[in-house]
Amino acid sequence: MPRYYRAVRLIIISWLTLVLVGAFSFGGTWLNIPRINILEHTARNLYFHVPMWFTMMAITALSAFHALRCLKARSLTSDIRSRSAALVALCFGLLGLVTGSVWAHYTWYEGTNVWWNFDPKQTMAAVQVLIYGAYFALRGALDDPAKRARISAVYNLFAFTLVPFLLYVLPRQMESLHPGAEGNPAFSEITHPVMRLVFYPAVLGFIGLAWLLYTQRVRTQLLARRAEALDEEEW
Amino acid sequence: MPGRLNLWLHGTGAVLRKDLKLELRSRYILSTLLIFVASALLLVMLAVGREAISAKLQAGLLWIVILFTAALGLGRAFVAEEERGTILLLRLHTRPSMVYAGKLLYSFLLILAVNVILTGVFITLSGVEIALPGLLGVTLLLGTLGLAGVTTLLAAIIARTSRRGTLLPVLLFPLLIPLLLAAVDATEQSLTGGTPLLGGWAASMQSLVAMGSFAGVVISASVLLFDYVWVD
Repeated sequence: MPRYYRAVRLIIISWLTLVLVGAFSFGGTWLNIPRINILEHTARNLYFHVPMWFTMMAITALSAFHALRCLKARSLTSDIRSRSAALVALCFGLLGLVTGSVWAHYTWYEGTNVWWNFDPKQTMAAVQVLIYGAYFALRGALDDPAKRARISAVYNLFAFTLVPFLLYVLPRQMESLHPGAEGNPAFSEITHPVMRLVFYPAVLGFIGLAWLLYTQRVRTQLLARRAEALDEEEW
Repeated sequence: MPGRLNLWLHGTGAVLRKDLKLELRSRYILSTLLIFVASALLLVMLAVGREAISAKLQAGLLWIVILFTAALGLGRAFVAEEERGTILLLRLHTRPSMVYAGKLLYSFLLILAVNVILTGVFITLSGVEIALPGLLGVTLLLGTLGLAGVTTLLAAIIARTSRRGTLLPVLLFPLLIPLLLAAVDATEQSLTGGTPLLGGWAASMQSLVAMGSFAGVVISASVLLFDYVWVD
C-alpha cells in the first residue's frame, strides 16, 4: 500500500472525527446552533443528510464516467471501478433516504404517522437506488466477464442520461416542502453561519469517506483478480 | 451522400418489413397482448367497481396498464432473433444502426396499435368523457415513442443475458418514471380539459415538451450505445 494512500486515509478519518465532534457539540457556547421551533436539534441532521446527496451525485457521475471508459477502452479495470462506484452510490443513496425520511417524520409530518411522502428529491433518490438495484440484477444475469462489463456499462450510461429528466420533470409534478424547491427559501438563505462551520467540512468529509470506500473496494477487487490469475497459472 | 442514405433507409425498411411480416403471419405477440390488455383492463375495472374515480386516477390506471403491456410484449424483439438463430445473419448483413432503427419502428408500430385499442376499450368500459381528444392522441403518440425508444435498447440488452423473462420490467420501470409522470399529467388534462383559466393544451405543454425531449434523448442515447450491445 503506497504511503500517501495511508496518509490520506488518516487525514480523512481524523477530519470526519472532528466533524462528528462538531456535529454533536451540545450545550457549550462553541458551535451552538440556533433553536428554531419544531426543528430544534434535528437541524443537526443537516450535517449528515445533505452531504449524503452530494456524495451520491458525485459518485454516480464517477460510475458513469468509468462506464464510458469501459466501453471506449474495453478495459475490465474500468468495469471494476464503475461497479464499485455504483455500490458506494447505492449505499449513500439509501443513507440519504433514511436520514431524510426520519428527519421529515419528526419535522414536516410532526404529529402524524407519515414516514414517506412523494417529495421530488426523495423520489429522485429512490429512483436512483432502484436503477442501481436493476444494474446489479443485470450484472447477475451475465456470466462472461467481458460481456458483463460491456452490457452493464451500456445500462449504466443509459440510465445516467435520464437523470436530467428526473431533475426537470419531478419538481413540476409534485409539491414539495423541501428547501430550495419552488417558493421555498434555499439553503443559502436560511442556514445560520454557525452551522456552515460544520456543514462545509462535513460535505468534504463524506465525499472523502466515499472516496475511501470506493478505493478500498477497487483495490480488493483488483487483488482478487490477481489472485485468480495466479491460481490459474499454478494449475 | 444520397447513395448511403438510400442504402441505410433500404436496410432499415428491410428489417422493419421482415418483423412486420413475421408478426402478421403468426400474430403471436399481437394476439397475446390484446388478450392481456383485455384481461388487465377488466381486472382494473372490477377492482375499482362502480366507484367514481378522479381523472388523475383514470389517467394513472391507463398508463400503468400501458407500461405493463409494453414490458410484456416488447421484450421479444431481440430474444426471438436469438431463439431462431437468425441473429448472426442479421449481424452479418446489416449495420447496427439499421437493425436498431428497424426494431424501433417495429416496436413503435406494435405498441401504438395496442395502445390505440387499449385506450378505446378503456374509454368504452369506464364511460369517461374526453374533453380534448386531440391532446389525448398527441400524448399517446409521444408516450409510445418514448416507451419504444427505451424498450428497444433494453430488449437488445436482455437478449444477451441468461434470465430473459424477468429482467425487462426490473430494468425498464425505474427509467420510465419521468415519462410516466408527464404522460399521466397530460392525459389528465385531456380528460378534464384543463381549468377555465388555463386550457388543457396550455396546462399540459410542459409535460408534452418533457415527453418529446425524453423520446429524443432516449433514442439518441440508444443509437450511440446500441453498437456495444449488438457487436461482440
